[in-house]
Amino acid sequence: MVQPMCLFFLISTLSCLRRVRDLCRVLQLPSTFEDTAVAYYQKAYQHPGIRAARVQKKEVLVGCCVLITCRQHNWPLTMGTICTLLYADLDMFSGTYMQIVKLLGLDVPSLCLADLVKTYCSSIRRKLAASKLECSQGARTACPSLADCSSPWALRHDPHFDYFSFKLFQASPSMPAKFMEDKEKMLSRTLQLVELADETWLVTGRHPLPVITAAAFLAWQSLQPSARLTCSLARFCKLANVDLPYPASSRLQELLAVLLRMAEQLAWLQVLKLDKRSVVKHISDLLQHRHTLIRKAFREGPSGVEAPAEELWGRGQGQEEVGNGSSDLPKGKRPASPALLLPPCMLKPPKRVCPTPPASTVTGDEDISDSEIEQYLRTPQEVRDFQRAQAAKRAATSSPNPP
Amino acid sequence: MEREERYLELYLDRCSAQDDLAPPGLPPLSPVAPYDVYVCNSSNPEAVFNSHLEEVKEITGGFSAVDLSFLPDELTQENKDQTVVRSKGEDEENCKTQSPPSKLPLPSQQDAGLGLTSSSSSDSHSHLQPGDANSGQHTPEKPDSLPLASIAPMTPMTPVSEGSEIVPQLQNIVSTANLACKLDLKKIALHAKNAEYNPKRFAAVIMRIREPRTTALIFSSGKMVCTGAKSEEQSRLAARKYARVVQKLGFPARFLDFKIQNMVGSCDVRFPIRLEGLVLTHQQFSSYEPELFPGLIYRMVKPRIVLLIFVSGKVVLTGAKDRSEIYEAFENIYPILKGFKKA
Repeated sequence: MVQPMCLFFLISTLSCLRRVRDLCRVLQLPSTFEDTAVAYYQKAYQHPGIRAARVQKKEVLVGCCVLITCRQHNWPLTMGTICTLLYADLDMFSGTYMQIVKLLGLDVPSLCLADLVKTYCSSIRRKLAASKLECSQGARTACPSLADCSSPWALRHDPHFDYFSFKLFQASPSMPAKFMEDKEKMLSRTLQLVELADETWLVTGRHPLPVITAAAFLAWQSLQPSARLTCSLARFCKLANVDLPYPASSRLQELLAVLLRMAEQLAWLQVLKLDKRSVVKHISDLLQHRHTLIRKAFREGPSGVEAPAEELWGRGQGQEEVGNGSSDLPKGKRPASPALLLPPCMLKPPKRVCPTPPASTVTGDEDISDSEIEQYLRTPQEVRDFQRAQAAKRAATSSPNPP
Repeated sequence: MEREERYLELYLDRCSAQDDLAPPGLPPLSPVAPYDVYVCNSSNPEAVFNSHLEEVKEITGGFSAVDLSFLPDELTQENKDQTVVRSKGEDEENCKTQSPPSKLPLPSQQDAGLGLTSSSSSDSHSHLQPGDANSGQHTPEKPDSLPLASIAPMTPMTPVSEGSEIVPQLQNIVSTANLACKLDLKKIALHAKNAEYNPKRFAAVIMRIREPRTTALIFSSGKMVCTGAKSEEQSRLAARKYARVVQKLGFPARFLDFKIQNMVGSCDVRFPIRLEGLVLTHQQFSSYEPELFPGLIYRMVKPRIVLLIFVSGKVVLTGAKDRSEIYEAFENIYPILKGFKKA
């Protein structure tokens, strides 16, 4: 005879395992992933801490198992996407994810940025196919496999978290022709810009998605600058039918600053005195020579931001001796002094200078004077006043005054 | 010496794909960890690499554009490598003592990558070489003869001349003590100016004193937690003061079982760190999820300390019961971090 509690656990486990499979199908993952994710869930469920966890945690665990499976197969899937699909709070997801990785002793590879960028564009292909279906049948059969999936999540698979559903790649009444773009060109340029951002410390320690948004925007703008320079990042995201992540504007500014620095190293661009708008027109040139330009435009300072002047002189001499063969400038005219290639957080001045505290001579055994302790105690009068104030407060809250 | 050091640094750098205008000068200082595989598929040191992204994945590095003019002419390519290797200072040896606290074999994946190349899929293994990456091999046919692999000791070198000279500063000490008597928290909250008590929110009195600037949680069982002190002695003095306050309020409080439970320290190595690279080479200990937290969480085994490592080079160390553990943990991590110093 099955104990009621066992039956309860059995049912809830089965339902969660079913949810794992549903989530895999909604995300259109290869079928092999389902079994792996389910196996992880079963393994996790063997731990008492997980068995006794709240329902919300168990639901979030479904997403964790799917995410781990995807990461191990280098299938780019962001935590944000899973949280949106599960209607879960990122904090809860984060805690459960870290816990389960530790519990199962797993080695989870990092999210691969290049694959993430590519996925955006391949999901566009699906969306294009889907929208063709929609137009012809007039029905919401966005995904053939979803039609037979009776899970409530089937309905949640809408464009908003399909990364870039990139309506940019197809003409529509709301999409002017000048904003349409070739998918392959855009993918290639976005990848290059993301790589540039990575090389110049704009990616480490930051959310990956906003960088990709900013890079995609710049890539799109630079492919037809004359028509698109007036389009803002927010408008671009609307056109592309994607959310504008909050840090994307900041990433955009940082990327433009890097491009401007690189532009200063090209003689024909130096004379143009570019700014953050005009540099977009030259992004293709800058990307073509990006490795050289980064090398020339930046230098790392081993001692960080200290004494940059001496650094500059020392390095400058060294570089000239070795010989930068393709320097376009005459020997006398130096390019703009190289900026430090550092993460933006190291380039900003410190918010507050924390001086090292003087060495403490406290032994821990000092005498404690009565007066020092008494300063923290209320006098009898103060106690009475305090009690009176508390009573008054209680009376006020229990019977609220009429407005 | 500085010039030699510079060439050593270049030697360690991964030579990423160069564009068509790449001069036969310095290779780009691409921001990748030095543990990258260094395979050159051209014996011509002046060869220029194709900048195609796909090829970058195939060719993980190259020795092409490094100017080795400082070396004597009669050296062969191999000897060049050996010389460069031998002339490395203790600095490099420290870098190569990968994860000495773990006493585990070096991970086979050494391609720190930009995270843009597939990090750990099985197909990328074919590009990666076992052991240390600083082979500088010119002949890709023998990727296994890595001169440095034999040098890397597994035990940490005593940092005599190569000490970090950075001392982590203690920021917070958490300690507990037992006052060994039942307490009336309402009475304490009434008679003490520096106490707050919200039984609906938390079942303890929160008390604060000005010197040493600390906070205490005092429970009705008589147990107490003291936080905020910057040294062990200060924590003990503060705990004693809280006990005195409770005594003065009329309770027969004693001061028993004082114990430091946790110590937190922080410091700054003053150079940026490639966290993506660090998580690849120290997978067993590291957790880096930029979607969740900007820092890398490094769980050191010996001593058992958790380090939060940020891209700016700031490091937070926590989990110590004794300050020597903090210092030891930092001395262990510093050479590892220095290995990822290159931009």
